[in-house]
Amino acid sequence: MRPVARSAIATGLVLLFSQSGAAAGPDQGAQLAATCASCHRLDGGGTGIPSIIGLGEERLTNALLAYRASESPNHIMHVIALSLSDEEIASVARYVAKQGSNPR
Amino acid sequence: MKSWTRREFGRLTGAALLTALNQPKARGQAKARVVVIGGGIGGATVARYLAASATAIEVTLVEPRQSYATCFFSNLYLAGLRPFESLSHGYEALAKQNGIIVVHESAAAIHPAAKTVALSNGSKLSYDRLVVAPGIAFRDRALEGYDEAAMEIMPHAWNAGQQTRLLRQQLESMEDGGLFVLVAPPNPFRCPPAPYERASLVASYFQRRKPKAKILILDAKDSFNAQDLFQDAWNRHYPGMIEWLPAQFTGGVTAVDAKTRSVITAGATFKAAVANVIPAQMAGRLAQQAGLANRSGWCPVDPVTFESALQPGVHLVGDAIIGGDMPKSAFCANSQAKACAFAIAADLTGSARLPAHLFNTCYTYLAPDDAFSNAISFKPVDGKLKSVISFVSKVEESSEVRRQAARAAEGWYDAFTHDVFG
Ligand SMILES: Cc1cc2nc3c(=O)[nH]c(=O)nc-3n(C[C@H](O)[C@H](O)[C@H](O)COP(=O)(O)OP(=O)(O)OC[C@H]3O[C@@H](n4cnc5c(N)ncnc54)[C@H](O)[C@@H]3O)c2cc1C
Repeated sequence: MRPVARSAIATGLVLLFSQSGAAAGPDQGAQLAATCASCHRLDGGGTGIPSIIGLGEERLTNALLAYRASESPNHIMHVIALSLSDEEIASVARYVAKQGSNPR
Repeated sequence: MKSWTRREFGRLTGAALLTALNQPKARGQAKARVVVIGGGIGGATVARYLAASATAIEVTLVEPRQSYATCFFSNLYLAGLRPFESLSHGYEALAKQNGIIVVHESAAAIHPAAKTVALSNGSKLSYDRLVVAPGIAFRDRALEGYDEAAMEIMPHAWNAGQQTRLLRQQLESMEDGGLFVLVAPPNPFRCPPAPYERASLVASYFQRRKPKAKILILDAKDSFNAQDLFQDAWNRHYPGMIEWLPAQFTGGVTAVDAKTRSVITAGATFKAAVANVIPAQMAGRLAQQAGLANRSGWCPVDPVTFESALQPGVHLVGDAIIGGDMPKSAFCANSQAKACAFAIAADLTGSARLPAHLFNTCYTYLAPDDAFSNAISFKPVDGKLKSVISFVSKVEESSEVRRQAARAAEGWYDAFTHDVFG
């Protein structure tokens, strides 16, 4: 991941842009997670659509890679994952893994 | 400006976000002002994501209504499967959690040179950037006899609210054996599968309560979205109940007669017990008046920033735009709104713009426990939004897969309305 995005993550999980002067830059993980939020509640609530909160970075990454590889079992997630590069998958998984838990 | 530590941000979820986003007011530094006109799906999403993007931006949302009723899932209400209240969403969370200034007025005029918006109460708002998301309007004189008075007798129910309730009342009081006529509009229009979803869910209601009733769809087109999936479902669930007549067969609907509740085509007159007339559409009135629409009646935009191709400094999202391959759906409006908010925030804060990801995902009900889904991704190519990858449910899917999609749709509604209205 580019240093810009890393420094943004370090300063904020909620704001989609870092506010810290020289290091200001968009947070790639947060912007990509905005897509997730159209169907998955990022506060972990909701039913009917599987929660993506509390899964951990590795499981999220592997799930996105599997969805990207195959239309089955879910063509919606296939289309979403196909639009993501490896770097984007890593950064959205890292961001989402930090939601709703108590990150350090 | 307050600088945040990572630990502080880690705790900012739900209600905590409320205080957090209200606190860091830039001292001694003027905030950039963004005004968003229209608190529907596109406008509310832009406002929410802009407000969360950067504390250096002050966001004002202009919307006349105190609460918004979703068109999506309104067909379930028409079928008696959901209370009307469940479609309704207020603006309190946007104001409290995200610090958005919500002004319940209608925008009367836009003055791009002065960068101001005139409100219907006579006051004025200044902006650095303007976002316009007024949804749709109906084309004047598209159908002879279909004026405001006729709408109260033959509702369109294509903006959710009083019109939707009126259509429900009519369907409830209709006698068994009555004819429900649905007039389907020409392309492009809001939500391509929705007229046919409406016919499907009204059929499920009739099957339960008025099994001798019939449904006639008089279409302005010769084919429609996901036609194979709908026609397969109509044969399976409601054999003999729904008849669809394409324009090539009827010559198209030319007029209505509200007094006799009749729909008139080139060759015949159909007298309805209940008529749902969905007329031809264009971008919302304000977009027309402000010179944001071209001769097509829709608004051309830059596919990356959603800035108007006709008025610099003014952005548009949602049904009002010519979205290339993007259909007019709530999901697209929400997806465009995020891309637009990130582009505006990047510009106003002087940060880099990341590649946008644009999607449409749609769940459509064929029966209460039978839904199908589709998903499409889009990319800007040569100044237009092109569809890149597209998948849709198949006719031969098992009933278990369809039942799961109907359940997933409910989860989608919950998450999606949270994403838009907080
Ligand atoms: C029956 C039906 C079913 C549907 N089902 C689905 C579905 O399952 N999935 C899906 O994705 N989409 C669905 N849609 C489509 C979806 O409702 C629209 O695409 C979506 O609402 C478009 O959002 P918008 O922001 O462009 O317009 P709108 O949501 O209509 O919002 C426009 C807002 O602008 C306000 N406004 C207008 N003029 C002014 C002014 N001058 N000043 C201030 N405010 C103004 C209006 O009051 C309104 O609140 C459905 C539509 C229908 C009719």
